[in-house]
Amino acid sequence: MDLIWDGLKEAVSLIFSGDAYVYEVALTSLYVSGLATLIAVVIGFGLASLLVFRAPPGRVLALSAFNAGMALPPVAVGLIVAIMLWRTGPLGELGLLYTPTAIVIAQAVIATPVVTALSVVALQSVNPRLRLQVLALGASRWQAGALLFREARLALLAAVMAGFGAAVSEVGATIMVGGNIRGETRTLTSATVLEVQQGDFETGIAFSLILLAIIFAVVGGLTVLQQRRSAS
Amino acid sequence: MPRLAASIAALALCLASAAACAGDDELLLGATTSVQDPGLLDELVAAFEDDYGYDVKPIVQGSGQIIELARRGELDVIITHSPGDEQALLNDGVATGTTPVMQNFFLIAGPESDPADVAGADGLADAFARIAASGAGFVGRGDGSGTHRRELATWEAAGVDPAGEDWYRESAAGQGQSVLVANDSDVYTLVDSATFISLADRLQIVELFRDEIAPNVYSVLRLDSEQLTEINENAAAAWIEFITSPRGQTVIEEYGRDEYGVSLFEPLLLD
Repeated sequence: MDLIWDGLKEAVSLIFSGDAYVYEVALTSLYVSGLATLIAVVIGFGLASLLVFRAPPGRVLALSAFNAGMALPPVAVGLIVAIMLWRTGPLGELGLLYTPTAIVIAQAVIATPVVTALSVVALQSVNPRLRLQVLALGASRWQAGALLFREARLALLAAVMAGFGAAVSEVGATIMVGGNIRGETRTLTSATVLEVQQGDFETGIAFSLILLAIIFAVVGGLTVLQQRRSAS
Repeated sequence: MPRLAASIAALALCLASAAACAGDDELLLGATTSVQDPGLLDELVAAFEDDYGYDVKPIVQGSGQIIELARRGELDVIITHSPGDEQALLNDGVATGTTPVMQNFFLIAGPESDPADVAGADGLADAFARIAASGAGFVGRGDGSGTHRRELATWEAAGVDPAGEDWYRESAAGQGQSVLVANDSDVYTLVDSATFISLADRLQIVELFRDEIAPNVYSVLRLDSEQLTEINENAAAAWIEFITSPRGQTVIEEYGRDEYGVSLFEPLLLD
Protein backbone atom coordinates (compact mmCIF):
# COMPACT_ATOMS: atom_id res chain seq x y z
CA MET A 1 0.00 0.00 0.00
CA ASP A 2 2.85 2.37 0.86
CA LEU A 3 4.10 1.86 -2.68
CA ILE A 4 0.86 3.09 -4.20
CA TRP A 5 0.86 6.13 -1.92
CA ASP A 6 4.50 6.87 -2.80
CA GLY A 7 3.65 6.37 -6.46
CA LEU A 8 0.80 8.85 -6.18
CA LYS A 9 3.11 11.41 -4.59
CA GLU A 10 5.73 10.82 -7.26
CA ALA A 11 3.10 11.12 -10.01
CA VAL A 12 2.02 14.51 -8.66
CA SER A 13 5.59 15.72 -8.33
CA LEU A 14 6.50 14.45 -11.83
CA ILE A 15 3.50 16.20 -13.38
CA PHE A 16 4.07 19.50 -11.63
CA SER A 17 7.87 19.60 -11.82
CA GLY A 18 7.53 19.79 -15.61
CA ASP A 19 9.82 16.78 -16.08
CA ALA A 20 10.63 16.79 -19.81
CA TYR A 21 10.88 13.01 -20.03
CA VAL A 22 7.41 12.50 -18.57
CA TYR A 23 5.84 15.04 -20.89
CA GLU A 24 7.55 13.51 -23.90
CA VAL A 25 6.32 10.03 -22.99
CA ALA A 26 2.78 11.29 -22.30
CA LEU A 27 2.68 13.22 -25.58
CA THR A 28 3.89 10.17 -27.50
CA SER A 29 1.07 8.13 -25.96
CA LEU A 30 -1.53 10.75 -26.83
CA TYR A 31 -0.21 11.22 -30.35
CA VAL A 32 0.05 7.55 -31.36
CA SER A 33 -3.17 6.45 -29.68
CA GLY A 34 -5.09 9.52 -30.88
CA LEU A 35 -4.01 8.92 -34.46
CA ALA A 36 -4.69 5.17 -34.19
CA THR A 37 -8.18 5.91 -32.85
CA LEU A 38 -8.82 8.37 -35.67
CA ILE A 39 -7.88 5.72 -38.24
CA ALA A 40 -9.97 3.10 -36.46
CA VAL A 41 -12.97 5.47 -36.39
CA VAL A 42 -12.74 6.30 -40.10
CA ILE A 43 -12.47 2.64 -41.07
CA GLY A 44 -14.88 1.41 -38.38
CA PHE A 45 -17.65 3.90 -39.18
CA GLY A 46 -17.26 3.14 -42.89
CA LEU A 47 -17.46 -0.62 -42.39
CA ALA A 48 -20.37 -0.30 -40.00
CA SER A 49 -22.33 1.83 -42.50
CA LEU A 50 -21.65 -0.70 -45.20
CA LEU A 51 -22.77 -3.62 -43.02
CA VAL A 52 -25.91 -1.91 -41.72
CA PHE A 53 -27.15 0.10 -44.73
CA ARG A 54 -26.12 -2.14 -47.58
CA ALA A 55 -26.63 -5.48 -45.84
CA PRO A 56 -24.11 -7.25 -48.11
CA PRO A 57 -24.09 -11.06 -48.35
CA GLY A 58 -21.96 -12.65 -45.64
CA ARG A 59 -22.88 -9.86 -43.27
CA VAL A 60 -23.36 -12.11 -40.25
CA LEU A 61 -20.05 -13.80 -40.87
CA ALA A 62 -18.28 -10.44 -41.15
CA LEU A 63 -19.99 -9.19 -38.03
CA SER A 64 -18.95 -12.32 -36.12
CA ALA A 65 -15.39 -11.69 -37.25
CA PHE A 66 -15.46 -8.10 -35.96
CA ASN A 67 -17.06 -9.20 -32.70
CA ALA A 68 -14.31 -11.78 -32.28
CA GLY A 69 -11.82 -9.09 -33.27
CA MET A 70 -12.70 -7.16 -30.13
CA ALA A 71 -10.78 -9.89 -28.30
CA LEU A 72 -7.87 -9.85 -30.75
CA PRO A 73 -4.75 -10.59 -28.65
CA PRO A 74 -2.57 -7.45 -28.91
CA VAL A 75 0.69 -9.41 -28.72
CA ALA A 76 -0.39 -11.50 -31.70
CA VAL A 77 -1.13 -8.31 -33.63
CA GLY A 78 2.23 -6.90 -32.53
CA LEU A 79 4.12 -9.98 -33.65
CA ILE A 80 2.48 -10.07 -37.07
CA VAL A 81 2.87 -6.32 -37.65
CA ALA A 82 6.52 -6.57 -36.53
CA ILE A 83 7.26 -9.42 -38.94
CA MET A 84 5.59 -7.51 -41.78
CA LEU A 85 7.69 -4.42 -40.97
CA TRP A 86 11.03 -6.21 -40.46
CA ARG A 87 13.55 -4.81 -42.88
CA THR A 88 13.76 -8.29 -44.39
CA GLY A 89 9.95 -8.51 -44.33
CA PRO A 90 7.41 -7.68 -47.04
CA LEU A 91 7.03 -4.02 -45.94
CA GLY A 92 10.63 -3.61 -44.80
CA GLU A 93 11.36 -1.06 -47.52
CA LEU A 94 9.22 1.46 -45.68
CA GLY A 95 11.60 1.49 -42.72
CA LEU A 96 8.74 1.85 -40.26
CA LEU A 97 9.72 -0.68 -37.59
CA TYR A 98 10.67 0.96 -34.26
CA THR A 99 8.96 4.24 -35.22
CA PRO A 100 5.79 5.84 -33.78
CA THR A 101 4.07 5.07 -37.09
CA ALA A 102 4.56 1.35 -36.47
CA ILE A 103 2.77 1.70 -33.13
CA VAL A 104 -0.04 3.66 -34.80
CA ILE A 105 -0.51 0.80 -37.28
CA ALA A 106 -0.58 -1.89 -34.57
CA GLN A 107 -2.95 0.07 -32.33
CA ALA A 108 -5.23 0.90 -35.27
CA VAL A 109 -5.45 -2.81 -36.08
CA ILE A 110 -6.38 -3.48 -32.44
CA ALA A 111 -8.93 -0.65 -32.17
CA THR A 112 -10.66 -1.03 -35.55
CA PRO A 113 -12.69 -4.19 -34.74
CA VAL A 114 -13.79 -2.61 -31.45
CA VAL A 115 -15.05 0.55 -33.16
CA THR A 116 -16.62 -1.41 -36.04
CA ALA A 117 -18.51 -3.92 -33.90
CA LEU A 118 -19.83 -1.31 -31.47
CA SER A 119 -20.78 1.07 -34.32
CA VAL A 120 -22.80 -1.66 -36.01
CA VAL A 121 -24.79 -2.13 -32.80
CA ALA A 122 -25.16 1.66 -32.49
CA LEU A 123 -26.56 2.04 -36.02
CA GLN A 124 -28.77 -1.02 -35.71
CA SER A 125 -30.34 0.32 -32.54
CA VAL A 126 -31.88 3.19 -34.51
CA ASN A 127 -35.35 2.30 -35.74
CA PRO A 128 -34.81 0.92 -39.29
CA ARG A 129 -38.07 2.47 -40.50
CA LEU A 130 -36.57 5.91 -39.95
CA ARG A 131 -34.11 5.39 -42.78
CA LEU A 132 -36.77 4.07 -45.15
CA GLN A 133 -38.96 7.00 -44.24
CA VAL A 134 -36.39 9.71 -44.99
CA LEU A 135 -35.39 7.93 -48.19
CA ALA A 136 -39.08 7.91 -49.21
CA LEU A 137 -39.25 11.60 -48.41
CA GLY A 138 -36.57 12.17 -51.02
CA ALA A 139 -33.36 12.28 -48.99
CA SER A 140 -30.22 11.04 -50.71
CA ARG A 141 -28.39 7.99 -49.34
CA TRP A 142 -25.76 10.27 -47.82
CA GLN A 143 -28.36 12.47 -46.16
CA ALA A 144 -30.13 9.43 -44.75
CA GLY A 145 -26.82 8.05 -43.49
CA ALA A 146 -25.93 11.36 -41.86
CA LEU A 147 -29.28 11.41 -40.12
CA LEU A 148 -28.81 7.91 -38.75
CA PHE A 149 -25.32 8.76 -37.49
CA ARG A 150 -26.87 11.76 -35.75
CA GLU A 151 -29.53 9.62 -34.17
CA ALA A 152 -26.96 7.03 -33.02
CA ARG A 153 -24.36 9.56 -31.83
CA LEU A 154 -24.50 8.56 -28.16
CA ALA A 155 -23.64 4.95 -28.84
CA LEU A 156 -21.17 5.93 -31.58
CA LEU A 157 -19.25 8.12 -29.15
CA ALA A 158 -19.13 5.16 -26.78
CA ALA A 159 -17.57 3.16 -29.65
CA VAL A 160 -14.94 5.88 -30.12
CA MET A 161 -14.12 5.85 -26.39
CA ALA A 162 -13.80 2.06 -26.37
CA GLY A 163 -11.49 2.25 -29.39
CA PHE A 164 -9.30 4.88 -27.74
CA GLY A 165 -9.23 2.84 -24.53
CA ALA A 166 -8.10 -0.27 -26.40
CA ALA A 167 -5.36 1.68 -28.16
CA VAL A 168 -3.92 3.75 -25.33
CA SER A 169 -3.84 0.97 -22.74
CA GLU A 170 -2.08 -1.50 -25.02
CA VAL A 171 1.53 -2.45 -24.27
CA GLY A 172 2.57 -5.82 -25.75
CA ALA A 173 2.29 -4.81 -29.39
CA THR A 174 3.57 -1.32 -28.60
CA ILE A 175 6.88 -2.66 -27.30
CA MET A 176 7.19 -5.26 -30.03
CA VAL A 177 6.79 -2.89 -32.98
CA GLY A 178 8.04 0.29 -31.29
CA GLY A 179 11.05 -1.09 -29.43
CA ASN A 180 10.39 1.12 -26.38
CA ILE A 181 13.05 3.61 -27.52
CA ARG A 182 13.50 6.60 -25.30
CA GLY A 183 12.46 9.86 -26.95
CA GLU A 184 10.88 8.08 -29.90
CA THR A 185 8.61 5.16 -29.18
CA ARG A 186 8.33 5.11 -25.40
CA THR A 187 4.71 5.45 -24.32
CA LEU A 188 3.19 5.63 -20.86
CA THR A 189 2.49 1.89 -20.90
CA SER A 190 5.92 0.83 -22.17
CA ALA A 191 7.63 3.27 -19.78
CA THR A 192 5.72 1.63 -16.94
CA VAL A 193 6.93 -1.81 -18.01
CA LEU A 194 10.52 -0.58 -18.12
CA GLU A 195 10.36 1.03 -14.67
CA VAL A 196 8.92 -2.17 -13.20
CA GLN A 197 11.64 -4.26 -14.88
CA GLN A 198 14.25 -2.01 -13.35
CA GLY A 199 12.62 -2.35 -9.96
CA ASP A 200 11.50 1.27 -9.71
CA PHE A 201 7.93 0.56 -8.70
CA GLU A 202 7.12 4.10 -7.50
CA THR A 203 7.86 5.61 -10.90
CA GLY A 204 5.97 2.72 -12.52
CA ILE A 205 2.91 3.55 -10.46
CA ALA A 206 3.41 7.25 -11.22
CA PHE A 207 3.35 6.55 -14.98
CA SER A 208 0.26 4.37 -14.56
CA LEU A 209 -1.53 7.13 -12.69
CA ILE A 210 -0.60 9.72 -15.33
CA LEU A 211 -2.01 7.34 -17.96
CA LEU A 212 -5.23 6.98 -15.98
CA ALA A 213 -5.46 10.76 -15.67
CA ILE A 214 -5.08 11.15 -19.44
CA ILE A 215 -7.67 8.48 -20.17
CA PHE A 216 -10.02 10.17 -17.72
CA ALA A 217 -9.47 13.58 -19.34
CA VAL A 218 -10.00 12.34 -22.91
CA VAL A 219 -12.91 10.02 -22.20
CA GLY A 220 -14.38 12.54 -19.76
CA GLY A 221 -14.25 15.21 -22.48
CA LEU A 222 -16.03 12.89 -24.90
CA THR A 223 -18.61 12.00 -22.26
CA VAL A 224 -19.38 15.67 -21.59
CA LEU A 225 -19.81 16.14 -25.33
CA GLN A 226 -22.04 13.07 -25.48
CA GLN A 227 -24.26 14.05 -22.57
CA ARG A 228 -24.58 17.71 -23.53
CA ARG A 229 -25.69 16.91 -27.05
CA SER A 230 -28.15 14.34 -25.80
CA ALA A 231 -29.69 16.88 -23.43
CA SER A 232 -30.24 19.49 -26.12
CA MET B 1 0.49 18.50 -34.83
CA PRO B 2 3.97 19.13 -36.26
CA ARG B 3 4.83 15.55 -35.32
CA LEU B 4 1.79 14.25 -37.15
CA ALA B 5 2.71 16.25 -40.25
CA ALA B 6 6.33 15.11 -40.03
CA SER B 7 5.30 11.51 -39.68
CA ILE B 8 2.95 11.69 -42.67
CA ALA B 9 5.65 13.43 -44.70
CA ALA B 10 8.15 10.73 -43.73
CA LEU B 11 5.70 8.02 -44.73
CA ALA B 12 5.04 9.71 -48.08
CA LEU B 13 8.78 10.04 -48.68
CA CYS B 14 9.28 6.40 -47.82
CA LEU B 15 6.58 5.36 -50.25
CA ALA B 16 8.08 7.56 -52.96
CA SER B 17 11.60 6.29 -52.57
CA ALA B 18 12.87 3.46 -50.45
CA ALA B 19 16.22 5.17 -50.10
CA ALA B 20 14.71 8.08 -48.19
CA CYS B 21 13.96 5.96 -45.17
CA ALA B 22 16.82 3.49 -45.25
CA GLY B 23 18.26 5.47 -42.31
CA ASP B 24 21.97 5.63 -43.08
CA ASP B 25 22.65 7.32 -39.77
CA GLU B 26 20.57 4.87 -37.78
CA LEU B 27 22.01 2.00 -35.75
CA LEU B 28 19.84 -0.87 -34.54
CA LEU B 29 21.71 -2.05 -31.46
CA GLY B 30 20.63 -5.31 -29.89
CA ALA B 31 21.41 -5.64 -26.19
CA THR B 32 20.32 -7.78 -23.28
CA THR B 33 18.23 -6.65 -20.33
CA SER B 34 21.15 -7.10 -17.93
CA VAL B 35 22.98 -4.26 -19.73
CA GLN B 36 19.94 -1.99 -19.75
CA ASP B 37 18.47 -2.66 -16.31
CA PRO B 38 21.47 -1.33 -14.33
CA GLY B 39 21.43 1.77 -16.60
CA LEU B 40 24.76 1.30 -18.43
CA LEU B 41 23.23 1.08 -21.89
CA ASP B 42 21.76 4.60 -21.75
CA GLU B 43 25.19 6.01 -20.81
CA LEU B 44 26.99 4.17 -23.60
CA VAL B 45 24.40 5.17 -26.20
CA ALA B 46 24.51 8.83 -25.14
CA ALA B 47 28.32 8.94 -25.33
CA PHE B 48 28.34 7.20 -28.71
CA GLU B 49 25.68 9.48 -30.20
CA ASP B 50 27.67 12.51 -29.01
CA ASP B 51 30.94 11.28 -30.51
CA TYR B 52 29.81 9.70 -33.74
CA GLY B 53 26.54 11.42 -34.62
CA TYR B 54 24.60 8.22 -35.24
CA ASP B 55 21.03 7.81 -34.07
CA VAL B 56 20.91 4.63 -31.97
CA LYS B 57 17.80 2.55 -31.56
CA PRO B 58 18.51 0.15 -28.69
CA ILE B 59 16.42 -3.00 -28.94
CA VAL B 60 16.57 -4.63 -25.53
CA GLN B 61 15.43 -8.22 -25.05
CA GLY B 62 16.76 -11.47 -23.61
CA SER B 63 19.79 -12.90 -25.45
CA GLY B 64 17.62 -15.58 -27.07
CA GLN B 65 15.49 -13.05 -28.95
CA ILE B 66 18.42 -10.74 -29.71
CA ILE B 67 20.39 -13.58 -31.27
CA GLU B 68 17.42 -14.75 -33.34
CA LEU B 69 16.79 -11.21 -34.63
CA ALA B 70 20.52 -10.86 -35.45
CA ARG B 71 20.42 -14.14 -37.38
CA ARG B 72 17.65 -12.69 -39.55
CA GLY B 73 19.54 -9.47 -40.24
CA GLU B 74 17.11 -7.41 -38.15
CA LEU B 75 19.86 -5.83 -36.03
CA ASP B 76 23.10 -4.09 -37.02
CA VAL B 77 25.28 -5.11 -34.09
CA ILE B 78 24.65 -6.94 -30.81
CA ILE B 79 26.02 -7.18 -27.28
CA THR B 80 25.32 -10.47 -25.54
CA HIS B 81 26.62 -12.60 -22.69
CA SER B 82 25.82 -16.07 -23.94
CA PRO B 83 29.08 -17.67 -25.14
CA GLY B 84 27.39 -20.80 -26.50
CA ASP B 85 25.01 -18.81 -28.68
CA GLU B 86 27.82 -16.50 -29.79
CA GLN B 87 29.91 -19.48 -30.87
CA ALA B 88 26.94 -20.85 -32.80
CA LEU B 89 26.59 -17.55 -34.66
CA LEU B 90 30.30 -17.68 -35.54
CA ASN B 91 30.05 -21.31 -36.67
CA ASP B 92 27.05 -20.52 -38.85
CA GLY B 93 28.89 -17.61 -40.42
CA VAL B 94 26.25 -15.11 -39.25
CA ALA B 95 28.82 -13.37 -37.07
CA THR B 96 32.28 -12.60 -38.43
CA GLY B 97 33.89 -11.60 -35.19
CA THR B 98 33.31 -11.37 -31.50
CA THR B 99 35.15 -9.13 -29.06
CA PRO B 100 34.80 -9.48 -25.29
CA VAL B 101 34.34 -5.93 -24.00
CA MET B 102 33.40 -6.19 -20.33
CA GLN B 103 32.55 -8.58 -17.57
CA ASN B 104 31.07 -8.95 -14.14
CA PHE B 105 30.20 -11.97 -12.04
CA PHE B 106 27.31 -14.30 -11.56
CA LEU B 107 26.22 -14.63 -8.01
CA ILE B 108 23.65 -16.53 -6.04
CA ALA B 109 21.41 -14.31 -3.98
CA GLY B 110 19.04 -15.72 -1.42
CA PRO B 111 17.58 -15.47 2.08
CA GLU B 112 20.00 -14.26 4.72
CA SER B 113 19.31 -17.39 6.80
CA ASP B 114 20.74 -19.41 3.87
CA PRO B 115 18.89 -22.71 4.57
CA ALA B 116 20.89 -24.56 1.89
CA ASP B 117 24.26 -23.27 3.16
CA VAL B 118 25.16 -21.88 -0.25
CA ALA B 119 27.75 -19.62 1.34
CA GLY B 120 29.85 -22.68 2.21
CA ALA B 121 29.65 -24.17 -1.28
CA ASP B 122 32.65 -25.28 -3.25
CA GLY B 123 31.87 -23.83 -6.66
CA LEU B 124 28.67 -22.74 -8.41
CA ALA B 125 27.58 -26.28 -9.32
CA ASP B 126 27.99 -27.39 -5.70
CA ALA B 127 25.90 -24.43 -4.58
CA PHE B 128 23.15 -25.44 -7.03
CA ALA B 129 23.32 -29.04 -5.79
CA ARG B 130 22.90 -27.80 -2.22
CA ILE B 131 19.83 -25.76 -3.16
CA ALA B 132 18.30 -28.75 -4.92
CA ALA B 133 19.07 -31.09 -2.00
CA SER B 134 17.59 -28.72 0.56
CA GLY B 135 14.44 -28.13 -1.49
CA ALA B 136 14.66 -24.41 -0.71
CA GLY B 137 13.08 -22.35 -3.50
CA PHE B 138 14.85 -21.12 -6.63
CA VAL B 139 13.68 -18.67 -9.29
CA GLY B 140 15.11 -19.18 -12.78
CA ARG B 141 14.76 -16.84 -15.75
CA GLY B 142 13.36 -19.40 -18.17
CA ASP B 143 13.62 -16.95 -21.09
CA GLY B 144 16.62 -18.12 -23.10
CA SER B 145 18.73 -15.24 -21.79
CA GLY B 146 22.45 -15.46 -21.11
CA THR B 147 21.78 -15.83 -17.40
CA HIS B 148 19.27 -18.59 -18.13
CA ARG B 149 21.81 -20.41 -20.29
CA ARG B 150 24.39 -20.22 -17.51
CA GLU B 151 21.82 -21.46 -15.04
CA LEU B 152 20.92 -24.47 -17.21
CA ALA B 153 24.59 -25.34 -17.75
CA THR B 154 25.14 -25.17 -13.99
CA TRP B 155 22.18 -27.45 -13.23
CA GLU B 156 23.62 -29.94 -15.67
CA ALA B 157 27.04 -29.72 -14.02
CA ALA B 158 25.35 -30.27 -10.67
CA GLY B 159 23.55 -33.32 -12.03
CA VAL B 160 20.13 -31.91 -11.24
CA ASP B 161 17.10 -31.57 -13.49
CA PRO B 162 15.03 -28.84 -11.84
CA ALA B 163 12.19 -28.86 -14.41
CA GLY B 164 8.90 -29.71 -12.74
CA GLU B 165 10.30 -29.72 -9.19
CA ASP B 166 8.03 -27.84 -6.82
CA TRP B 167 10.92 -25.80 -5.37
CA TYR B 168 11.75 -24.50 -8.85
CA ARG B 169 9.99 -21.63 -10.59
CA GLU B 170 10.63 -19.76 -13.81
CA SER B 171 9.96 -16.01 -13.88
CA ALA B 172 10.16 -15.58 -17.68
CA ALA B 173 11.00 -11.94 -16.99
CA GLY B 174 13.90 -9.55 -17.50
CA GLN B 175 16.86 -9.74 -15.13
CA GLY B 176 15.80 -6.98 -12.76
CA GLN B 177 12.24 -8.17 -12.42
CA SER B 178 13.35 -11.76 -11.97
CA VAL B 179 15.46 -10.81 -8.95
CA LEU B 180 12.50 -8.97 -7.50
CA VAL B 181 10.36 -12.09 -7.90
CA ALA B 182 12.96 -14.12 -5.97
CA ASN B 183 13.12 -11.37 -3.36
CA ASP B 184 9.39 -11.36 -2.94
CA SER B 185 9.28 -15.11 -2.37
CA ASP B 186 12.47 -15.02 -0.26
CA VAL B 187 14.17 -17.75 -2.30
CA TYR B 188 17.46 -18.26 -4.17
CA THR B 189 18.25 -16.98 -7.65
CA LEU B 190 21.18 -16.61 -10.03
CA VAL B 191 21.86 -13.02 -11.03
CA ASP B 192 24.64 -10.96 -12.55
CA SER B 193 26.44 -8.71 -10.07
CA ALA B 194 25.56 -5.45 -11.90
CA THR B 195 21.82 -5.99 -11.68
CA PHE B 196 22.10 -7.18 -8.09
CA ILE B 197 24.15 -4.19 -6.93
CA SER B 198 21.89 -1.71 -8.72
CA LEU B 199 18.86 -3.19 -6.95
CA ALA B 200 20.48 -4.04 -3.61
CA ASP B 201 18.84 -1.29 -1.58
CA ARG B 202 15.42 -2.65 -2.53
CA LEU B 203 16.23 -6.24 -1.67
CA GLN B 204 16.05 -8.34 1.46
CA ILE B 205 17.81 -11.27 -0.17
CA VAL B 206 21.61 -11.04 0.01
CA GLU B 207 24.63 -12.14 -1.98
CA LEU B 208 25.67 -15.58 -0.74
CA PHE B 209 28.00 -16.97 -3.36
CA ARG B 210 30.00 -15.36 -6.15
CA ASP B 211 31.36 -17.38 -9.05
CA GLU B 212 34.86 -15.97 -9.47
CA ILE B 213 36.00 -18.80 -11.73
CA ALA B 214 33.74 -18.25 -14.72
CA PRO B 215 32.91 -14.54 -15.05
CA ASN B 216 29.93 -13.19 -16.95
CA VAL B 217 31.52 -11.91 -20.14
CA TYR B 218 29.77 -9.49 -22.50
CA SER B 219 30.90 -9.48 -26.10
CA VAL B 220 30.13 -7.27 -29.07
CA LEU B 221 29.45 -9.24 -32.25
CA ARG B 222 30.18 -8.10 -35.77
CA LEU B 223 27.58 -9.55 -38.12
CA ASP B 224 28.20 -10.68 -41.67
CA SER B 225 26.99 -7.78 -43.78
CA GLU B 226 27.61 -9.63 -47.06
CA GLN B 227 25.12 -12.29 -46.11
CA LEU B 228 22.75 -10.00 -44.19
CA THR B 229 22.55 -7.20 -46.72
CA GLU B 230 20.22 -4.95 -44.75
CA ILE B 231 22.84 -4.31 -42.08
CA ASN B 232 24.15 -0.78 -41.69
CA GLU B 233 27.79 -1.78 -41.87
CA ASN B 234 29.31 1.64 -41.21
CA ALA B 235 27.19 2.31 -38.17
CA ALA B 236 27.98 -1.16 -36.79
CA ALA B 237 31.71 -0.65 -37.34
CA ALA B 238 31.52 2.73 -35.59
CA TRP B 239 29.81 1.16 -32.57
CA ILE B 240 32.44 -1.57 -32.32
CA GLU B 241 35.18 1.03 -32.64
CA PHE B 242 33.57 3.10 -29.90
CA ILE B 243 32.95 0.37 -27.37
CA THR B 244 36.44 -1.08 -27.74
CA SER B 245 38.10 2.36 -27.59
CA PRO B 246 39.50 3.91 -24.39
CA ARG B 247 36.55 6.32 -24.44
CA GLY B 248 33.90 3.58 -24.48
CA GLN B 249 35.86 1.45 -22.03
CA THR B 250 36.13 4.39 -19.63
CA VAL B 251 32.36 4.90 -19.71
CA ILE B 252 32.04 1.23 -18.72
CA GLU B 253 34.65 1.49 -15.96
CA GLU B 254 33.15 4.59 -14.41
CA TYR B 255 29.56 3.52 -14.58
CA GLY B 256 28.06 3.01 -11.14
CA ARG B 257 30.96 4.47 -9.13
CA ASP B 258 29.09 7.59 -8.14
CA GLU B 259 25.83 5.89 -7.39
CA TYR B 260 26.89 2.55 -5.92
CA GLY B 261 30.51 3.15 -4.93
CA VAL B 262 31.74 0.36 -7.22
CA SER B 263 31.98 -0.25 -10.97
CA LEU B 264 29.18 -2.53 -12.11
CA PHE B 265 31.06 -3.78 -15.15
CA GLU B 266 34.79 -4.35 -15.52
CA PRO B 267 36.16 -3.20 -18.90
CA LEU B 268 38.36 -5.81 -20.57
CA LEU B 269 40.24 -3.66 -23.07
CA LEU B 270 41.59 -0.90 -20.85
CA ASP B 271 45.32 -1.04 -20.14
